[in-house]
Amino acid sequence: MSDAITAGHAFMAVMRRDLTIYLSYRTRLVSQVLTSVFSLTLFYYVSKLVHVSGFKSPSDYFAFVVVGISMIGVMYSCFSIPDLLRQELVAGTFDRLLLSPFGAVRSLLAMTLFPLFYSFVLAAITLGLGCAVFGLRLHWSTVPLSVPAMALALVAFLPFGLLFAALTVVVKQGSVGTTWVIALLSIVGGLYFPVSLLPHWVQTAARLQPFTAATTVLRHLLVGTSVGGSPDEALVRLALFAVVLVPGSILVLSGAIRLGQRRGTIIEY
Amino acid sequence: MTRPVLDVLAPVDTRDEQCEVDARMHAARDAPGAFPLAIRGVTKRWHRSRPAVLDELDLALEPGTLTWVGGRNGAGKTTMLRIAAGLIEPDEGRADVWGVSARENRRRYQALVSFLPAGDRGLYARLTVRRQLDFWARISMVPSPQVRQCVDGAIDAFDLRELADRRVDRISMGQRQRLRIAMTFLPDPETVLLDEPLTSLDGHGTELVLVAVQQVLDRDGVVLWCSPSEEHLDIAFDARWILEQGRMMPA
Repeated sequence: MSDAITAGHAFMAVMRRDLTIYLSYRTRLVSQVLTSVFSLTLFYYVSKLVHVSGFKSPSDYFAFVVVGISMIGVMYSCFSIPDLLRQELVAGTFDRLLLSPFGAVRSLLAMTLFPLFYSFVLAAITLGLGCAVFGLRLHWSTVPLSVPAMALALVAFLPFGLLFAALTVVVKQGSVGTTWVIALLSIVGGLYFPVSLLPHWVQTAARLQPFTAATTVLRHLLVGTSVGGSPDEALVRLALFAVVLVPGSILVLSGAIRLGQRRGTIIEY
Repeated sequence: MTRPVLDVLAPVDTRDEQCEVDARMHAARDAPGAFPLAIRGVTKRWHRSRPAVLDELDLALEPGTLTWVGGRNGAGKTTMLRIAAGLIEPDEGRADVWGVSARENRRRYQALVSFLPAGDRGLYARLTVRRQLDFWARISMVPSPQVRQCVDGAIDAFDLRELADRRVDRISMGQRQRLRIAMTFLPDPETVLLDEPLTSLDGHGTELVLVAVQQVLDRDGVVLWCSPSEEHLDIAFDARWILEQGRMMPA
């Protein structure tokens, strides 16, 4: 029990470390909020210019896309984990984590906490700006349910970051392929437009990753749109992704670290 | 059983008793053939076509001893330390601490061994000295109520009080090395592995390292000190070895 408490404190220490480092760069939050403002402004006017089938009004499409914009921040956070690991490898701090009783795998899991928490906050800021500046109407009665749904989504997304972290341990490159994967997922995940507009085989592919399910659930809870499929079914799929992928990705990451130790490449960067 | 590392230095107890070694190892100490560090038949080769950098290497350290291992650049000293630390695995053989190997029980092994890598890496540039030590104490699984005492103990032991609230990227190389060494000794390890520990240190820093080494020896721990040359001939090493062609030769 006391070991579990000490491990809990170690998890929090990693998160506090990342928060401290983040806050030491004073303009980072401002620049990221400004990026959200530019995206919101762009899609606010795009929504007025084009008519998208399935939406009754431009404000419906805008509400749809604001949730997508919020989710892309979460997606970027997941895929930032390999880069964070790469920084640790270059700085020689990963060796320290690996040699600590807390261990490399738990340290890497703990390293996901701050980026995911931060993306959660940034998503809330994006939605707040959407409401305050662009007249987005939230479904306040179901908004509180979006918090646990978002937490489930974060757990379901986590394996992608861990799998790319495992790849980073092996090939020593943080961003190998992540840009393509983010671009692909933002299309098939239905972040900017409904998946129903895509070819049928792409729609099938869209169901094979958790981002589509997460945006469907969150859109339903935040802005009341059910474009993209049944929210209940999406919630079940999200839970299944979390249950299956999280243990699998932890195993792959452990295996990659062990392989690096056996080959002696774990200390290379 | 132990004697001062440097004759001019009397042992000074600047560390907090709360950070003492866990009683869990007492049973292991009584086990026959168990050492605070034993490297047995370790072979490591980086490429199949090249000679092994460590070739069936054996080294066993008795409790309370300070051992120096030298050798030319590329002789395999750092590889040996990395294997002893549990960072990388040997192709053959094993390294264990009181009979425990990293492969069998990683968490327990890492709780017993502390490793100072050579160079100036392994620090978070944007954290203050105190934050860095606090972070290291927590991932070293020091129980939460003892963290503050451990950190304060390390700050005092390595004369970091004035630097405690300064960011790491704003202190000198020698001060960073004192911090790295403070991190190495902070969890009160049984087995300490030092790779070129005196890099960038002035005379005062060197004395602080030797005091910390003495405290490890006083509690029957061991220190394995590697450097290319005997930087300080006045240090009273219990054993001196040269690593040559993958094997230990008496210095």
